[in-house]
Amino acid sequence: MPTESSNGSVTYLEAIGRAMMAEMEADPDVFLIGEDVGQFGGAFKVTKGFLEKFGPLRVVDTPIAETGFTGLAAGAALVGLRPIVEFQFADFISCAFDPIINVLARHYYRNGDPMPVTMRAPFGARLRAGPTHSQSVESYFAHVPGLKIVMPGTAQDAAGLLISSIRDNNPVLYLENKYLYRRLRSDGPLSLDPIPLGQANVVREGRDVTLITYSAGVSQGAEIADELDKDGISVEVIDIRTLVPLDIETIVNSVQKTSRAVVLHEASRRMGYGAEIAAEVQERCFWHLDQPVVRIAAKNTPVPTSPPLEDAMIPQPAEIAEILQKVARA
Amino acid sequence: MATPTKARAKSAAPSLAERDPQLLKRIYEKMVQTRAVEDRMVAMYKSGDLLGSLYTGHWHEAISVGAAATLRPDDYIAAIHRDLGAHLWRGMEAWQVMASFMGKATSPTGGRDGTLHYGRLDLGFYNLPSHIPANFPVAIGMAFAAKYRGEDKVCLAFCGDGSTSRADFHESVNMAGVMKLPCIFVIENNQFAYSTPIALQSASVDFACKAAAYGFPGVKVDGTDVLAVYDAVAEGVARARSGEGPTLVEGVTMRMHGHAEHDPADYVPKELFEEWRKKDPVELFGNALIEGGVIDEAYAKDIREQARQHAIAARLKALADPMPDGSTVEEGVYAD
Repeated sequence: MPTESSNGSVTYLEAIGRAMMAEMEADPDVFLIGEDVGQFGGAFKVTKGFLEKFGPLRVVDTPIAETGFTGLAAGAALVGLRPIVEFQFADFISCAFDPIINVLARHYYRNGDPMPVTMRAPFGARLRAGPTHSQSVESYFAHVPGLKIVMPGTAQDAAGLLISSIRDNNPVLYLENKYLYRRLRSDGPLSLDPIPLGQANVVREGRDVTLITYSAGVSQGAEIADELDKDGISVEVIDIRTLVPLDIETIVNSVQKTSRAVVLHEASRRMGYGAEIAAEVQERCFWHLDQPVVRIAAKNTPVPTSPPLEDAMIPQPAEIAEILQKVARA
Repeated sequence: MATPTKARAKSAAPSLAERDPQLLKRIYEKMVQTRAVEDRMVAMYKSGDLLGSLYTGHWHEAISVGAAATLRPDDYIAAIHRDLGAHLWRGMEAWQVMASFMGKATSPTGGRDGTLHYGRLDLGFYNLPSHIPANFPVAIGMAFAAKYRGEDKVCLAFCGDGSTSRADFHESVNMAGVMKLPCIFVIENNQFAYSTPIALQSASVDFACKAAAYGFPGVKVDGTDVLAVYDAVAEGVARARSGEGPTLVEGVTMRMHGHAEHDPADYVPKELFEEWRKKDPVELFGNALIEGGVIDEAYAKDIREQARQHAIAARLKALADPMPDGSTVEEGVYAD
């Protein structure tokens, strides 16, 4: 396990583990359930050491049964516990579609009983893991009323948003980008203060164009913006942090200032979350826009395995920079 | 090849005289009430009082009431649409059930859900969605919470013969076995899942024997014999409470109406209905109580009349109740 660096920073992965550990220490009703989360410490080792610390009642290794343990979490939450469900890969969440949609998401609306379940799922491409181990699943769920969707793009947000997710009284889908696990670090020591759900973050201020993004798009977008700055193009980067609820006000305020908007995500373009943002921006900022809202997204294909194919599918920095430049200068 | 599950030996069961007469009377009253409410609702369906279809539990009363009667009030139940009896046993109001089938503001969900989805958590019920047995994974979660907190509560989960074919049945029953959760799974084998007969549902000799594969006991009982159901489930409850894990109980009965009232069930051989008509669980239990001297004819008649009047009054209340206000549709999607 990577440890603290000299400035006290931690990785995105460690931030998730620390946030969970802090919440489990603080609240005896919080427990963790999933495949291989206990004695193995999780497929990505996010929960290494949890079983030793909290014991098998609170760190529950399950059979391979996504529907079973997601439904179990729902039942436990109904009677007052606050489960954290770990899906080994977000790709496997399709096996739990039924309890997420029909049990978790609509229970409060149907019955008025809170359903505090946090579902963590490592998602995303770039690891050459292929069509059924690399998917972005947020759009499947963003259509469903009753769910919240959290997608942190920094190590600090990974901790603060997870703490808020666990404390939330609604089912929350917390999608962690597995490509970022060991590639991103916090700026300094990790804060364990909660970060409210539904508050976008202006990561970088700019004048010429607004880049609206989330998850891996945040660090990627900020790096590209730094480069473009050298060419005199000023990009404002907004990390929406949570897809549901969406902080549309922060986006609108920015677009009204820059008059140009680009949306970036690594999920496929068609019906991706960028379409929703583009539509909202168009409806709310039409008379402020100098250019059509542009979406930068992955191609409408499964995520291929082989590097040349995967790279061709996912938006690459050069392409992102080119589009930002074009929109800013048009 | 699995062998059929042996029915529990009747000789092992206590005689009527050895049982608590107050409990016997209460079980009988709830069975009669269940029948009266459902008969009244069938009339309401026909006269157009209800929004959509009606799902009844004729010939399920012994399973539903018999199983629920074994529990403590703080135990959990994850029932299905044939289990009005279990709801009434716990204190659900008949008018609220009717209000649910009418989409009234006074239904347990305020009209957000409706028809058979009227379970109340304050009575220990999980209000299931339509995807049965989606209630099974939730049931093991309620049982898990009891174990987690070191409480001796149990969860009673019901499903039908058709539900046993689904993945969530397997996943949750398997997990309950592995985790030794305090659950009692009751399979209401009523011969048909909508139009699909059990022979097309499973090649297994019966449903109770499936428990063997999950590592806990499975028992098959006559689902029209309320005391047989009561005894089998009570044994499961005792096992669950003492930390020995789950039990599966298959109650064999017949679905005497269609899947719902819109369904004439003309795919069911007539002879099958005729054969099962002789096994009305409410009548059988009433006769047994009279023969055993627990109640007399006059008492039985009185209970039936009270239940009928109660159902009539429930209908009038539900009819008079208000509909929800459409302007509230966006409220309550998220909890604070």
